[in-house]
Amino acid sequence: MNEDGDAQPEPTGRERQRLLASRLLQYLLLQLLIAAACILALRQSLPEPPAQYLVTAFNLTEGGVARPVRLPYFSPLRYAMDDPPRFTSEFTHSSDDSRRAWSVFLPRFTNGVEVMVNDVVILDSRRDPAANRPDRNTPAIAVIPATVLRDGVNAISIRLFIWGPISGFLERIWVGPDELLRPSYNLRTLIFVTLPVVFSSWQAILAVILGIMWVMRRHEPAYGVLAAAMAVGVGQAFLQTPLGETPFSRLNVVLISSAPIESALVLTFALLLSGWKWRRYGLVIFVPGAVLALSGLFGSPALSRGLFLILALPTVGASLVIMAVVTAHSVLQRNNVASFLLGCAVTIMLTCWIVDLLSVFQMMSNRIFTARLSYSAMLVAIGAGLTWRFARALNQVDGFAGRLVAQVRETEEKLKASFVREEERARAAALARERTRLMRDLHDGLGGQLVSIVALSERGDAAAPIGEAARAALKDLRLVVDSMDDIGGDLMLALGSWRERAMAQLRPHGIALDWRAVTPQGLPVHPELRPWHVIQIVRLLDEALTNAVKHAGASRLTVRIETLASDDATERGSITVEDDGRGFEVPPEDGAAGTTTAARGLRNMRSRAARCGAELVLDSTPTGTRVRLTLPARFPDSDAAAG
Amino acid sequence: MNLPSDQPKAAAIPVLLVEDDAPTLWRLQDALAQSGYRVRAAGTLAEARACLAEAAPRVLLTDLQLPDGHGVDLIRETRQRFPDTEIMVISILGDEESVISAITVGATGYLLKDAFPTDIAATVRDLVAGHSPISASIARFIVRRTQNMPEPPPGPALNTARLTPREIDILWGIAKGFSYAEIAGHLGLSRQTVPGHIKSIYRKLEVHTRGEAVFEAVQQGLIRL
Repeated sequence: MNEDGDAQPEPTGRERQRLLASRLLQYLLLQLLIAAACILALRQSLPEPPAQYLVTAFNLTEGGVARPVRLPYFSPLRYAMDDPPRFTSEFTHSSDDSRRAWSVFLPRFTNGVEVMVNDVVILDSRRDPAANRPDRNTPAIAVIPATVLRDGVNAISIRLFIWGPISGFLERIWVGPDELLRPSYNLRTLIFVTLPVVFSSWQAILAVILGIMWVMRRHEPAYGVLAAAMAVGVGQAFLQTPLGETPFSRLNVVLISSAPIESALVLTFALLLSGWKWRRYGLVIFVPGAVLALSGLFGSPALSRGLFLILALPTVGASLVIMAVVTAHSVLQRNNVASFLLGCAVTIMLTCWIVDLLSVFQMMSNRIFTARLSYSAMLVAIGAGLTWRFARALNQVDGFAGRLVAQVRETEEKLKASFVREEERARAAALARERTRLMRDLHDGLGGQLVSIVALSERGDAAAPIGEAARAALKDLRLVVDSMDDIGGDLMLALGSWRERAMAQLRPHGIALDWRAVTPQGLPVHPELRPWHVIQIVRLLDEALTNAVKHAGASRLTVRIETLASDDATERGSITVEDDGRGFEVPPEDGAAGTTTAARGLRNMRSRAARCGAELVLDSTPTGTRVRLTLPARFPDSDAAAG
Repeated sequence: MNLPSDQPKAAAIPVLLVEDDAPTLWRLQDALAQSGYRVRAAGTLAEARACLAEAAPRVLLTDLQLPDGHGVDLIRETRQRFPDTEIMVISILGDEESVISAITVGATGYLLKDAFPTDIAATVRDLVAGHSPISASIARFIVRRTQNMPEPPPGPALNTARLTPREIDILWGIAKGFSYAEIAGHLGLSRQTVPGHIKSIYRKLEVHTRGEAVFEAVQQGLIRL
């Protein structure tokens, strides 16, 4: 924020304020227009039957006192159900009309009526649960039985039952041919009875949809709150109980509390939608509804009806006003369509509610309540809007998933290409390493031997040991070729070939080879064994063999192969080459002075053993020489000594 | 050790030697002649065929790379015409690549070109006596093929499916450098039966007919039907 202020110069901030102010003005003007349109629409009266059948002049008998009144009539609240006000009048039925059925049509009354024609009861609205609801503008119509109807003057008497919470009301009534009264009645029924049922059904469906959405997306409580509001509304609309004293009548009273609870829920929803975080003090807005419900459960009906006026109405009004403010703020701050539409809906509801309130306090000449209807319509609109938003979000997710799939595929292709490159590189590197090793091996053995053959042949000496050098070169070539073979880490397989070569080498000299594999499997298997390890070990053994043949004058060579179990459960192989020759003086390990062939051979043996991580022990006595090679528990990965 | 004079009976045995390199041919010829074998020498495939047309040799020693063809063809022809002739490959390195392909057409082991004269004579003598030699590296190659691997290792095709577990055990012993006596001891066999087993191994590795070759190629997954 601070940075923002620093970076943006003062005029811009003022400009922003001006922009906000102008936007607020526009919004308020629009809401005013909407309210005016609403009032205009509410003032439109519904079509009425012909005025000639209107009956307005009545005699009101109340508490034993009779006086003339004109309908529409507002009656003060009274709680005595056994002595209701009684309206009496008369109407004329001409004999020309005898073939047409006649009806009594009561467009609007609170709370209940009992209509008698010629002292015969033809209508009792208290048996119609929908008609018992003061918030519904349920009309009533009753056909006068032909036997009751007389030609000429007939008496009509209406008893008005008032049980609150609002004052009694009786709209003008019509008595005339049924065919003329019926269309008006049907229109009112459609608007005030059927339409609310349709809205309630929509609410029920949306309550289920939003409830499921909330269950699946717990982090968005707005859905859950709205679902709860709708569920309460549906309960209020469909839970209908008879008026009389039954076990359920208490429940009927409790239903009174639905209005404040619903308004509190919708307010919570609007707050959550505008980005407000739920706080515990938010429970305050549910208190009036709870108090009303408790009073309905435990108090008298009169108490709860009295409380309704002082608790429910202000709660609903306050909720509406807060919602209007919050949505207006949200519209200004976020400028989104959803908040704007919600704001318009709140304005409509607020207007309807104020008009209803005026009607309740008898400041209007009629008593058509529209707040409830507009509320239902708004809920349906909100629910539909949310579902639409959800569908759009799903589409976005689909698009996102599509892009993601494309990206993943692209990346996969790249990865595959780079993997192929990497593989080729690795193969090339492995090939180069192998080539280097092969060159070194050929250089160490074959190269030197061929050079010495060249040197020997140039001396022109017939006695020169050219054959021996050539044979050694061939032997080394075979060793190099042999070492390329995959022996699966089993050094015994390499020693098997070495034994054959050793026997061929020893046979001309008459030296016997005693081959002893002490342990049945010979040597442990080393999966990490590499060809260059094998070459080093075999060359080392060759050196020992050559020493025995050339210098020791031995007659018997013993090769002992065994597996030594060491303390830490690892197995180490051991190869011992022992001859019965005359022995030689073992030069010191760091002996640089060794110049004889034998000494050079010993030095080579030591360096080969070191490169493989093996231990070499040389013992030479006048009765024989022993070369003991102890293999490592694990062969080293890199040929450190070779650099 | 094995001096020629020890084996006077060798004199009657005819050997056909096929080798295009003259010094090597002389060397081998001398070694065998000194042991008393009746050696006929051929430098090319055509000469060798001419010799075969005259009389059946008891032993055929042949190089694989010949100026006018491949020794494998000669081995196959000889094997078909003279089933009693013992055949051996002459090789510089004794590498599996060439030796195994010769074995599959009927050869029994190989002889190194630089072997000592006594060893050359001794090898042929053993061969005639029915003792088929098998080197550690060849045994190793065969037993590695008997192990189950995800994909066939490189090298010549070889069907080891007909080898018995005992024969495979013997091959393992040879590959690891054990003597016949040691192998026989480990496996609870008589030392004298080991050469017989080796002979049997050679015969089982041989591909006799074209039909069999196809069958074995299918068995090994080299050909898909």
